[in-house]
Amino acid sequence: MRDLKMMTYGEAIREALDDALAQFPDMLLIGEGVPDPKTIFGTTQGLREKYGAERVLDMPLAENGMTGICIGAALAGMRPVLVHQRIDFALLSVDQLVNNAAKWHYMFDGQQKVPLVIRVIIGRGWGQGPQHSQSLQAMFAQVPGLKVVMPTTAGDAYHFMLAAIADNNPVLFIEHRWLHHIIGEVDKQAPAAGLDGAAVMREGRDVTLAAFSHMSIEALKAATTLAEHGIDAEVLDMRCVSALDIESVAASLAKTGGKLLIADCAPEMASSGHQLLSKLVLAHGDSLKQAPRLIVYPNHPVPTSHYVANHYYPGAEQIASAVLEMLGRSELTASVIGALQSDLPKDQPDRSFVGPF
Amino acid sequence: MSPASADLKHLYYQMLRIRRAEEAIARRYAEQQMRCPTHLCIGEEAIAVGVSAHLTVQDKVFSNHRGHGHYLAKGGDLPRLLAELYGFAEGCCGGRGGSMHLTDLEAGFVASTPIVGGTVPLAAGYAWAEKIKQKAVEGHRNVVVIFFGDGCFEEGVMHETLNFAVLKQLPLLFICENNQYSVMTALAERQPKRDIYPIAAAHGLTAVNGDGNRVDEVYELARVAVANARNGLGPQFLELHTHRWPEHCGPNEDDDLGYRSPGELAEWKLRCPLLQTRQMLLAKQLSNDTELAQMETQLAEEIEQAFEWALQGTRPTIDSMGQHLYA
Ligand SMILES: Cc1ncc(C[n+]2csc(CCOP(=O)(O)OP(=O)(O)O)c2C)c(N)n1
Repeated sequence: MRDLKMMTYGEAIREALDDALAQFPDMLLIGEGVPDPKTIFGTTQGLREKYGAERVLDMPLAENGMTGICIGAALAGMRPVLVHQRIDFALLSVDQLVNNAAKWHYMFDGQQKVPLVIRVIIGRGWGQGPQHSQSLQAMFAQVPGLKVVMPTTAGDAYHFMLAAIADNNPVLFIEHRWLHHIIGEVDKQAPAAGLDGAAVMREGRDVTLAAFSHMSIEALKAATTLAEHGIDAEVLDMRCVSALDIESVAASLAKTGGKLLIADCAPEMASSGHQLLSKLVLAHGDSLKQAPRLIVYPNHPVPTSHYVANHYYPGAEQIASAVLEMLGRSELTASVIGALQSDLPKDQPDRSFVGPF
Repeated sequence: MSPASADLKHLYYQMLRIRRAEEAIARRYAEQQMRCPTHLCIGEEAIAVGVSAHLTVQDKVFSNHRGHGHYLAKGGDLPRLLAELYGFAEGCCGGRGGSMHLTDLEAGFVASTPIVGGTVPLAAGYAWAEKIKQKAVEGHRNVVVIFFGDGCFEEGVMHETLNFAVLKQLPLLFICENNQYSVMTALAERQPKRDIYPIAAAHGLTAVNGDGNRVDEVYELARVAVANARNGLGPQFLELHTHRWPEHCGPNEDDDLGYRSPGELAEWKLRCPLLQTRQMLLAKQLSNDTELAQMETQLAEEIEQAFEWALQGTRPTIDSMGQHLYA
C-alpha cells in the first residue's frame, strides 16, 4: 500500500528529517534554535526527544566556525544538517562553505568528501527588512562544487531533503518561509529525488512559465486564473538552482510556441533567470520565438516599511498581466487582475499570521 | 564614588523613561501597525542608562537588534523611533529599517543592526578613526561604545575585533549585556561554564564584571571605564549580568514556553533595576512618592505625545524605495 499523506511543506521537512535520522545513524541536526520551544518554525519538533541531544542540538552563535566544524565532522564520516533561520546568517559562513566545503572533494583529487546539508530559510514579510530577507540563491549557485536546491512543494521538500542528506556533496537546501504552511501530497514510496530536473506543476499549450520557489506558487495562481479566461499556461518549477534543467524548458517551449516567462524571488541582478536564459539560448538557440519576460524584484534591498515593501514584491498579478501582453490579449488584463486581487497584506503569508516573525 | 543624589534620580528617570516607552510599544504592537520584528529591553534598562550617563554627544554608540534602550539613553529622538516602528517617512531611518535599524547622528547614536556581531568591528573602526584624528588633543578623546549580548560574544568577529582594539589601544568600550539567553537557548547550551570577561581580559584589556541590574554599580564601573578609555588607556570591557523579561522578539512574555528554569524570571523581576533604584531613592530620602508620581505623569505625557506625533507620519512614497542605493 502506498503511504500517501497530505501535509504542509514544513511538516514534510520535519518528516524527512525524522526519517533521515532513523535511516542514517551518522546524521546530526544542528543549528541555532533547533531544539528550542519554537523548533525552527516547527520543522525540528520532537526530534531531540526521539534521537537524543547528542544528535539533535543547538549551537553557539558562531556561523563560520560551526560550518567548519560540521565540514570537519563530515570529513570524518558524519552527515551533519546545519540549519540557519535566515539565509542572511549563512553569509557569515561563506568562507567555510565556499573555500572548503565546495572544493574539498575536487582539491584532494576525489579522495575525501563532504556530505553536508545547509538548510537556509529565505523569504519576506513583516518588516524583515534589508538584513533579514535577502535572496542570495543565485550567488550560492555560482559556486562550483556546491549543490543548491529550492524545492517548492511538500512532496519535493520531503524527497529533496532525504536526497540531500544521502548525497555525498555539500547541498544548500533553500526554503522560502511562505511555503512552510502550504499543504501538498507526500508520497514516501515515490522514487528518490535526484537533486536535478525541473518539475512540471501544470501542463499547458500557450505559454511557458518557468518559476523559482515561492514564485512557482504565484505562477500557478496566475495560470489558474488565466485558464478561466481560456489561456493555458504551462508551469515549470525550477527547483534545482545549480543544475538548471534547460532541457525541460526547451521541451516545454516546443509545446507553447517558444513563449517564455521566468519568475524569480530575487532582485533582477541576482536572479537565476539570467543563467537560465543564457544556457537556454546557448543550447537551444531557436527555442525562443518571442522576446522572453523576467518577473523579479527591483535591484535594491527591501525596505522595512510595509507601506513600500508591499510594492517591492511582484506576484501572480504581474505574471498574469505580462503573459497577456506577450499573447496580445491585454484586453483581458483588467478582468484577470480583478480576479487575482487579494486584500491580504503582502507582508503576511496567511491570515493567521500576526508577527513578529 | 557612587552617583551623587541628583544623578541617581536622573538615572532612575532615564530608566523609567525607557521602561514606559517599551511598555507602550508592547501595548500598541497588538494593533498590527508596527509591522517589524521588535526586541524589547525591559529588565535591562540599567546598562544603557548607567553607561550613557558618562557619554557626551561627541561620544558614539553602536548597538544591536535590542537597541531601543541604547538609542534612548544616548539621547535618540523618541518620536522618530516610534515613527520608524510604524514605517513612516519621519522615522529615524525613513522607514527603511524598523526597530532593528536605528540611527540618530545628532545624538551620537551611529547605528544598530540585527546581524549578530555586525556592528562590533564597525565600532572599533570608528574608534580607530577617532584616535587617528584626535592625536593632537592629548588627554581627552571621544570614546565609542559597542553594546552586545552574551550570544554575540560567541561570534568570531568579536574576538578579531578585541585583538585589533587592544593592538591599537582604541578608545572603545565593549559592553556585554549578559542576559544568559540567545533567543531561547540558555548559555549552558552554548558556552562552557566560565565567565566571559576573563576571556576578554586575556586579549590584554581591562575587563571586569558587575551587576547589570544595579544602575549605581553600572554607573560606577562605566565611570572608570570611560575615563580610562578617554585618557588613552585603551579599550575597556564590562560584562554586566542582567535578564530580559519579555520574549526574545515581540511584545509578550513567554515564560510559559518553559525554556527558563521555573522561578528564574520571577527572581529576576525581584531584582528589577527600577524597583531597586526606587527603594534606594526612598530609603536615602532622595525622593518621595509625590515626586515619583510626578515623574510617571510627565513621562506618560511625553510618550503619549510622541505616539501622537509618530502616528501622524506620512507613508514613504513608492518611488523613494529605490533611492540611496549608491551615495
Ligand atoms: C549572525 C546572526 N545569527 C543569528 C541571528 C538570529 N538572532 C538574532 S538575535 C539572536 C540572539 C542574540 O543573543 P545575544 O547576543 O545574547 O543578545 P540578546 O538577544 O540576548 O539581547 C539571534 C541568534 C542573527 N540575527 N544574526
